[in-house]
Amino acid sequence: MLVKDYMTRHPLMAQPTMSIVEAQRFMGENDIRHLPVVGDGKQLLGLVTRQSLLVEPGKLGSLNIWEITGYLTELTVKDVMVKAKEVITIEQDTTIEETARTMVQRKIGCLPVVDDGVVVGIITETDLLAKFMEVMGGNVSGVRVTMRTPNKVGELAKLVNAIAAQGWGIWALGGALLPKDRTKYDVVVKLRHVPKDEVVAALSKVEGQEVVDVREM
Amino acid sequence: MSAQLEWITEADHRIKTPVLQVEDLAISYETRKGDVPAVRDVSFDIMRGEAHGIVGESGCGKSTVAFGIVNFLGRNGRIVDGHILFQGQDLVGQAPEELRRIRGDRIAMVYQDPMQALNPSMRLGDQMSEVLIVHRDMEKAAAEEKCVDMLKRVYMADPANVMRRYPHQISGGQQQRVVIAMALLNDPALLIMDEPTTALDVTVEAAVLDLIAELQRVFDTAIMYISHNLGVVARVSTKVGVMYAGEIVERATVREVYLHPFHPYTQGLMRCVPRLGMDKRSSFLYPIPGRVPSPANLPPGCIFEPRCDYARERCRLKKPELRQMEPGHLARCHFAEEVAQMGWEPPEEMLADLATPLEYDREAEPILSISHAKTYYEAPSKQLIGGEKLYVKAVDDVSITVQKGETLGVVGESGCGKSTLVKTIIGMERPSGGEFEFMGVDVSTPVSQRDLSIIQELQMVFQNTDSTLNPSFTVGAQIGRPLRRFNAVPKEQIRGEVVRLLGMMKLGERYYDRLPRQLSGGEKQRVGIARAIAARPELVLCDEPVSSLDVSVQAAVLNLLMEIQAELGTTLIFIAHDLSVVRFFCDHIAVMYLGQIVEFGPSEAIYAPPYHPYTEALLSAVPIPDPSVEQKHIRLSGNVPSALNPPSGCRFRTRCPRLLGEICETEAPPCQHASDEHRIHCHIPMEELRKMEVVITVGD
Repeated sequence: MLVKDYMTRHPLMAQPTMSIVEAQRFMGENDIRHLPVVGDGKQLLGLVTRQSLLVEPGKLGSLNIWEITGYLTELTVKDVMVKAKEVITIEQDTTIEETARTMVQRKIGCLPVVDDGVVVGIITETDLLAKFMEVMGGNVSGVRVTMRTPNKVGELAKLVNAIAAQGWGIWALGGALLPKDRTKYDVVVKLRHVPKDEVVAALSKVEGQEVVDVREM
Repeated sequence: MSAQLEWITEADHRIKTPVLQVEDLAISYETRKGDVPAVRDVSFDIMRGEAHGIVGESGCGKSTVAFGIVNFLGRNGRIVDGHILFQGQDLVGQAPEELRRIRGDRIAMVYQDPMQALNPSMRLGDQMSEVLIVHRDMEKAAAEEKCVDMLKRVYMADPANVMRRYPHQISGGQQQRVVIAMALLNDPALLIMDEPTTALDVTVEAAVLDLIAELQRVFDTAIMYISHNLGVVARVSTKVGVMYAGEIVERATVREVYLHPFHPYTQGLMRCVPRLGMDKRSSFLYPIPGRVPSPANLPPGCIFEPRCDYARERCRLKKPELRQMEPGHLARCHFAEEVAQMGWEPPEEMLADLATPLEYDREAEPILSISHAKTYYEAPSKQLIGGEKLYVKAVDDVSITVQKGETLGVVGESGCGKSTLVKTIIGMERPSGGEFEFMGVDVSTPVSQRDLSIIQELQMVFQNTDSTLNPSFTVGAQIGRPLRRFNAVPKEQIRGEVVRLLGMMKLGERYYDRLPRQLSGGEKQRVGIARAIAARPELVLCDEPVSSLDVSVQAAVLNLLMEIQAELGTTLIFIAHDLSVVRFFCDHIAVMYLGQIVEFGPSEAIYAPPYHPYTEALLSAVPIPDPSVEQKHIRLSGNVPSALNPPSGCRFRTRCPRLLGEICETEAPPCQHASDEHRIHCHIPMEELRKMEVVITVGD
């Protein structure tokens, strides 16, 4: 699960000379929120986001409609983009959780993926959410069980063994500590092609653990 | 259990903008006689990671579209209408500097002839790394490292060594790999491939096609794949557009186009190609009558109308639009629904032309028998003085017999000695050993020492018609020459006889005074055939006579050869690399590898187990224009070894996927008989060979 497997290769890109009117239209038409600006050999020069296109009224010399129009037509992507040295980028071989951490810490929604300064792809929060959905089995139907286990070594093995004893396979599995009780750990398991009642019957027998939520979805 | 959730794949949230979107594109070439509209009203789109095929006969504008996208139209070509949106940006009307940058960085192109794409005077490593040094300002060492990586990705053996070589020092298949690797260095979003495998052998072609499919997955590159070969397009593409005379006449997924074609032209194309498994006794090839109209002189209504069997009044008057027949299936025909419903019956005049293939007498004395034939070429010794003489063993110990009136097919990769064998029979090469007997006469002598009557009985049809017809003599003079030389008819009747031959070739008297340059490829080949059969030879040797022709012309030429054979009882030796054509056309087939025959037998026996492992690999590599056919996946590794120093024991052992072990290395394989006529040279016991799975299975 590395960036290179989940990024969008060959993203839509702009030249620095593109006018911002054009950039606005281009992003709207293609339904994208981030537009890397590249020079020769796809070298990253900057990044245009929806925010970059918001022109501060203070920058305008006057509110005369003709002057605004004139001002806007002369503005190019180069003038409004976040410059390359301020753009936070990521390498292809980074893990997706590291990528997520970078996004969370910096509060940004998109990272151009670069290799030696050259844009090779782009990864956005949507890409990561799509991956998260898959990791949790959100893209297939089946039985989703939440097990509350004590936060100690060996509990997950107990759960997995109980499932394996039934001859079932695990489609997806994820877990996290309870936000308000660090001694407890919630594990979410997605099982396919098994009846819900049997799952409850089998898993409620696991010692020390508790079935807190079962649903078919 | 709850209802199935919709399966959301990771691609669903990605950008929906096509990588390439061509809208109403029209390209014209300026000539002295005014603008020639080479491409008109072409629209298609290619999504990311998708391979889109463009098929059509030569001269129908496939390459012009590709050149339009990369702006290689030349000085007199220009885009007169339409848009080419590449990743959402219109390339038409952009400043040249912007275009250069977008195209250089994000679009790459691979051409048909790899030798012409590579600079012969530069080492491969230098020309590859140049791409990165120039486009990306990379340091030389880093660039070279990246090139080696890329060569590894295209499965080039020993990449570091290849980097130091010159283009002529590697084989055609390897050259094409280098070109593909070079195209991928810049990680293009769109890769345009213009007949990239046409110049390659089937086995190499299969490997290159596998490679293209893999790269498309790994790099998420959109591919526009141009080819005249329906089978190749069926293997690589997801969608396909059929082009005719500068327009797209049908566009849909590969399966739809091949199995349920709507347009009469697409249907016609399908009837031109022999399906593997068909033979001349059970089925016919139906060529499309007429030829592609010149773009300067298009019919007013539907462009296909003059050649269409279903043409009506409306087709002559009104140009049809590209219409949606079914979701995602477009066709440009007024009556497409009806055409698809109606079964197709060949018109009567065409049926009258189709000859019943000759039934030859299987018991008769063979007309040609060759035993232990050897043709060696002397190679310069590596030592300056003395040293052993080295020989390129182009044909080494080949024995075949040909019955009068039959057709013998010879297949094998390039460099296996097919052409040398034929040239030795006809006397253009002096044999180094063996016995050659033709109609009871010894023909191991070169042509200059042969009796005129023998020369008359042995004639040849060549592959490249441009280099075999004298450009400064008229068609009539060239066909008349053998008549004059062999005194076949009295002098005053020569013209009459030539006209009769032209008629037989379906050319007509008006061709008598034409020069070769005034003929199309198919017509030139007909003249070549007429010249070969003028003196009524007993045996005609055909060296790839249809390989360079379009499918509809190919069908016509094959039918013609069959007709001649039925009428004159001529015996044919037919060299080809297209296995479906050979299967269709020939009675017996010899499979050659490195100067030797590895399998020989009746054609239906060659295509079913038991196989020689080499035949099995060849069959698995043929591109088949039928998505319902399943093929076993066998790929040969490496190249044909040098005939200068062939492997010991079995010559195929270095590439054999069914290698037994030491015995293959030490002993020459024995000749095993599967039936009276069917022999296989292999160490694997016949019982094992019989148990092999069928390579090609026709689906539902």
